[in-house]
Amino acid sequence: MERVLLFLSGLLLLLSCNREKVIEPIPYDNPEIPLNIPDGFPSLNAFVGENKPTKYGVELGEKLFHEKKLSGNNTISCASCHKQSSAFADNNVQAIGIYGRVGLRNTPPLQNLAFMKFFNWDGNILQLEKQPLVPIITHEEMNSSILEVIGKIRDDYEYKDLFKKAFGDENVTADGIYQSIAQYEYTLISANSKYDRIRRNEGDTFTESEARGYQVFQQKCMSCHSTELFTDQRFRNVGFPVNPSTEEAGRARVTGIPADLMSFRVPSLRNAEYTAPYGSFGQFPTLKSVLDYFDNGVLDADNLDPILKDNGNRIPLTEQEKEDIISFIKTLSDSTFVGK
Amino acid sequence: MKTQKSYLLFLVCSLALMSCSKNDDNPVANNITLHFNNTFKNTTIVLGDASSSTATVNTSAEGQVHHFSELKYVISNIRLIKADGSEIPYNINDLDQGATVVDHSKPQTLDYVLSNIPVGEYGQLKFGLGVRPELNTLDEVRFPDFYAAAGANDTQMHWEWGTGYRFTKIEGFYDTDHKEMSVHTGSTVEGTNGEPDTYTQGVDAYRDITLTLPSHAIVGEHAPRITINADFDKLLSGKTNTIILGTGNAKPSTHTAANMVLFVDNLGGNGSSDLSGMFSVGSVEN
Repeated sequence: MERVLLFLSGLLLLLSCNREKVIEPIPYDNPEIPLNIPDGFPSLNAFVGENKPTKYGVELGEKLFHEKKLSGNNTISCASCHKQSSAFADNNVQAIGIYGRVGLRNTPPLQNLAFMKFFNWDGNILQLEKQPLVPIITHEEMNSSILEVIGKIRDDYEYKDLFKKAFGDENVTADGIYQSIAQYEYTLISANSKYDRIRRNEGDTFTESEARGYQVFQQKCMSCHSTELFTDQRFRNVGFPVNPSTEEAGRARVTGIPADLMSFRVPSLRNAEYTAPYGSFGQFPTLKSVLDYFDNGVLDADNLDPILKDNGNRIPLTEQEKEDIISFIKTLSDSTFVGK
Repeated sequence: MKTQKSYLLFLVCSLALMSCSKNDDNPVANNITLHFNNTFKNTTIVLGDASSSTATVNTSAEGQVHHFSELKYVISNIRLIKADGSEIPYNINDLDQGATVVDHSKPQTLDYVLSNIPVGEYGQLKFGLGVRPELNTLDEVRFPDFYAAAGANDTQMHWEWGTGYRFTKIEGFYDTDHKEMSVHTGSTVEGTNGEPDTYTQGVDAYRDITLTLPSHAIVGEHAPRITINADFDKLLSGKTNTIILGTGNAKPSTHTAANMVLFVDNLGGNGSSDLSGMFSVGSVEN
């Protein structure tokens, strides 16, 4: 009997030893990178708290962001369309991916994403970690698959090293790829424009035209381009020319609600100077052409935004007002953010 | 007393051996084959291009002629219900082992073999048209085989922008001038529909189907074959909706969640009063 007990306790001891082996200490100091939340910005997207940027997570994410092996033929990286000099957008009408294939929509800029509740023109993504897979597998973007990507980079010394430092394990994983890219993107915060410096009383002042533009902006634009992000993050049909693709339904593509047809997320106006052309599929070459369109009158629709409906389907603007608004919008340009 | 005990032990042992040898003759498990018969009403569909003279032409309740050039759908979450009410789930959390793309142009996909089904009499069959939200993430790492099968160039059942699977993909032509029609369905739901605590946005296009078998499928020495009719006449002339194809819904926005639910409810039922949609059981062969 005693022998049996001895044997049993020995077995238990072995089992407990096995268990302890599973827990591995993280050998690298990988400090969290605090996100400096600019004054007046809305609160962080709740998912940021589940994937807080770290030193090596962001470093890995930045490397992956520029990695062309994410695409089937190693020609397209995230940065191919999301160029820093264009506030992480590009200047094509619609996105151009692998083999010159043209995507459905205009590339959105990547800025202040940590504060956004919805991603993409139609808000189909609510958690940034779920976005990187979309371009990787999309025919018109990178036309690859996550296992194909992992296969290409898993034996790369630099990636193994960064995965070890960021996540404590040198194995390249799908979740590690998604999380690190999101971590990098969370750090892309733009809040150092002339407008911001004036708001913070750092000595800058608006020119006369900018100041007039700000006044008109507050009367005629700020209902939608509100908050310090310069978007209310709502989905609106503003009667812009409609994308002829049968794939396009705007927000209704996600919700299935007819009232959301051809509604798009109000875009931020920060760094708009760098992101021409404008509109969900690049309908407008310049800021002036957008304002001209609003002034001339927009397309009617059952679900046209009530603000436009109440004003005869247009936003009347004088030529002087347009010029001033554009001057003001240019004060939202953050030259350090775009590296200029 | 001691001899009696030994005798009993011997008896028990031989009984055990006997039952073992019996099991060799009568297996503990066998296959069930699900055969999918895609029809317009009672006629098995023949696919064809716009000007095909051999394609099966259907006429909707509203008098619209139409035929298909492509017809695919995903079946998953298969459960078999025994006559006593107990439920045998078939790899319901494993898309590689428990889900399939039925592609009408590939005869081998019309038969889906469920392996290792416990012996017994089965009176009911449940399955999903599409993929449950929690598994509908295009997770290639977790389910590489199903991901590859669904994403193949000639299958195209990935819905990339929604990072989910297409649940049905129908291409075809309607009206006498053969205008193109194209119906794709899939889910965009975040959280659970009808649960305000979790639901944030989107449409759940997954539909759970319940079919009562006309006679029991008896799994034992023989492997039953159940023929499931999928009557695509219901696409336009369903129990829930009567649809007229036109510029607003035949091609534009049927790739999207807008308008899609009308088709989904016709094909897979509305989830409440109609739990079978276009599906019915044609026959059970034991």
